Amino acid sequence: MELLLQQTVNAIALGGTYALLALGLAVVFSIMGLINFAHGELMTIAGYVLMYCGLAGVPFAIAAALAIGAAMLAAVLMEMIAFRPVRNASGETMLVTSFAVSMVLQVLFQNFIAARSQPVLLPQLLSDSISLFGLVIGVNKIAAIVATIVMLAFLDWFMRKQKHGIAMRAAAEDFAVARLMGIRANTVISAAFALSGLLAGVAAVLWVSQRASVDPLMGFAPVLKAFIAAILGGLGSLRGAVAGGFVLGFIEIYLAAFLPSDMQEFREPIGLGIVVFIMLFRPNGLIPAASLKAEKV
Amino acid sequence: MKKALFLTSLLALSALSQPVLAEDLKIGLATAQTGGLAPYDAPVIEGVNIAVDEINAAGGIDGKYKIDLIDKDVRSDAAQTSIATQELVDQQVSVLVLPCDADPALAAISIVAAAEIPAISTCASSPTLPLVGGDYMFANFPGDNVQATVSAEWAWGEGYKSAYIIYSPDAQYTTLPLYFKEVFGKLGGDILGEDTYSIGQQDFSAIATRIAALDPQPDVIMTAAFEPDFPSLLKALRAAGVKSQMIGSDGIDSPTTFSLGDVVEGTVFTTAGFATEGSPMEAFNKKYKEVTGKETQTVFNAVGYDLIKVIEAAVKEAGSTDPKALRDAIANLENVQGATSLITYKGTNGMPVRQVSLVRVTGGDRELIGQPSPTADLVPAPRMQ
Repeated sequence: MELLLQQTVNAIALGGTYALLALGLAVVFSIMGLINFAHGELMTIAGYVLMYCGLAGVPFAIAAALAIGAAMLAAVLMEMIAFRPVRNASGETMLVTSFAVSMVLQVLFQNFIAARSQPVLLPQLLSDSISLFGLVIGVNKIAAIVATIVMLAFLDWFMRKQKHGIAMRAAAEDFAVARLMGIRANTVISAAFALSGLLAGVAAVLWVSQRASVDPLMGFAPVLKAFIAAILGGLGSLRGAVAGGFVLGFIEIYLAAFLPSDMQEFREPIGLGIVVFIMLFRPNGLIPAASLKAEKV
Repeated sequence: MKKALFLTSLLALSALSQPVLAEDLKIGLATAQTGGLAPYDAPVIEGVNIAVDEINAAGGIDGKYKIDLIDKDVRSDAAQTSIATQELVDQQVSVLVLPCDADPALAAISIVAAAEIPAISTCASSPTLPLVGGDYMFANFPGDNVQATVSAEWAWGEGYKSAYIIYSPDAQYTTLPLYFKEVFGKLGGDILGEDTYSIGQQDFSAIATRIAALDPQPDVIMTAAFEPDFPSLLKALRAAGVKSQMIGSDGIDSPTTFSLGDVVEGTVFTTAGFATEGSPMEAFNKKYKEVTGKETQTVFNAVGYDLIKVIEAAVKEAGSTDPKALRDAIANLENVQGATSLITYKGTNGMPVRQVSLVRVTGGDRELIGQPSPTADLVPAPRMQ
């Protein structure tokens, strides 16, 4: 029982990180219909900011804030430079553009920072753990769970109450009509990218605080997980992205925890098999977006 | 007929247009300067360049053969490795240098074998590499089975009786703990369990929780995980309250490991060399600092120097730059003094006999435990994954 609880805490922490990542993809997708595969590079940028701050002796709290800010700025710039010129092009064009942005950034990191992974100095506190109700919980797990809750609460408030948030929801529902109502396309799309940068930045701080290093290619793995979670949840649906992230986290942790040891090698295919199985019954995802009208055939 | 004539004349022309550099030794480097293997290949090539500059400044090998490096980045990709290798073969290199990991190195095998050019992997440590690779494939690092024997014998000697291994079936190298399991078992130790992970896996909390729930706790945990997996694994274990002795292998001989602070303190790993006082490696490290202006951060710099020393010795032995003669010369080298160790290929299948250093992380730095020779009977046979 205690083991189950402990693993559940692990699953919530991992699922929370996946949820933040998937949300970052979903925010942009819901408005532009673009799956931004350069989302992972926003995390890498945040990671490098953490690394340089560590070298410069900046306290971790400030370094984390700077890293998140850098990811937001990079996201907005990414939209202005790369995606704005192709905004009215087909979905495939934008998808290929996002791959191109991702590769260009990776090469820039390799050539101007380092091809090798660089250590990130982290406060000792993040490696500690505390006992809570008989469970041993790592501080970075608690940080992941708290950060997820705060971000979800903020996002909920932002989308329901804040002007830009309401505009984004309107744009997600019907961009043409939203523009007729006087909503500026550039502002809404910039805000969506800034928001996805914020989510990428928070996820990057959590991600890097576990692995303690950054390398030019580190964005690929998380963006892949986020993509799976977003599809599972229902592309373009924010609530779906959160649900997808948590379900993916639970599947991964429970399989790693409770699959018999001679089956462990097949953990990943089994996990993805479960995702496919769920999709068979919910082809539009767990909580589909209203605008996504894929049909079961 | 006309066509044949045209072709032959074209061939003759292209042969003529190749500059005749009989006194140059062309070495083709098909290594990973970017991507997942760059943390290992990039420092090796730094060491290679230092050795080559040193030799060329002295007038070349034996005062005759200047070394000409042809450099290609294979981006840690198996397909790209075979493409780059083919290009280098077409440029008629005498020796090939392949990436650090056995898997991309093996991707180039058919080309290497057909061209009959000796190939040396920068730092692959899987003893299966020359087995699969055949006569023309050589390694440049202490084998995984040898490293595992050294660390298992050390653990047993320290009085540790039980162990837990964490390995990944994704690559040859990351299955090193299976050798450890074999040797530790032969010595009489208990293996309490094993876990697998995927390379690049971010979260190790499920494994850490399972190990933390074991009663009794294992005395040692052995893994060949390297970054970014190793820091995540180690932090997850310590955060879950696991206090067992960690044993790693050469993949964690990197700056990230030494920057992890308290969690990594006391971790022991095997590697290719250690700069003891008055050792060739200390001399190399000094030279590295003179050339680059910074301290060397990993043993892989010195391993690159070793690689060129091996080629130098082979060219001296063969007295030519003919690839076949060089292959035979490398296969018969004995006690070549490299920066890290004496290196012997004679009597092996291409996996060199080299010294293994056992290092402990102390206060964010390396501390040498010893450079023991493994008991020959205990070294496991190479195992195909």
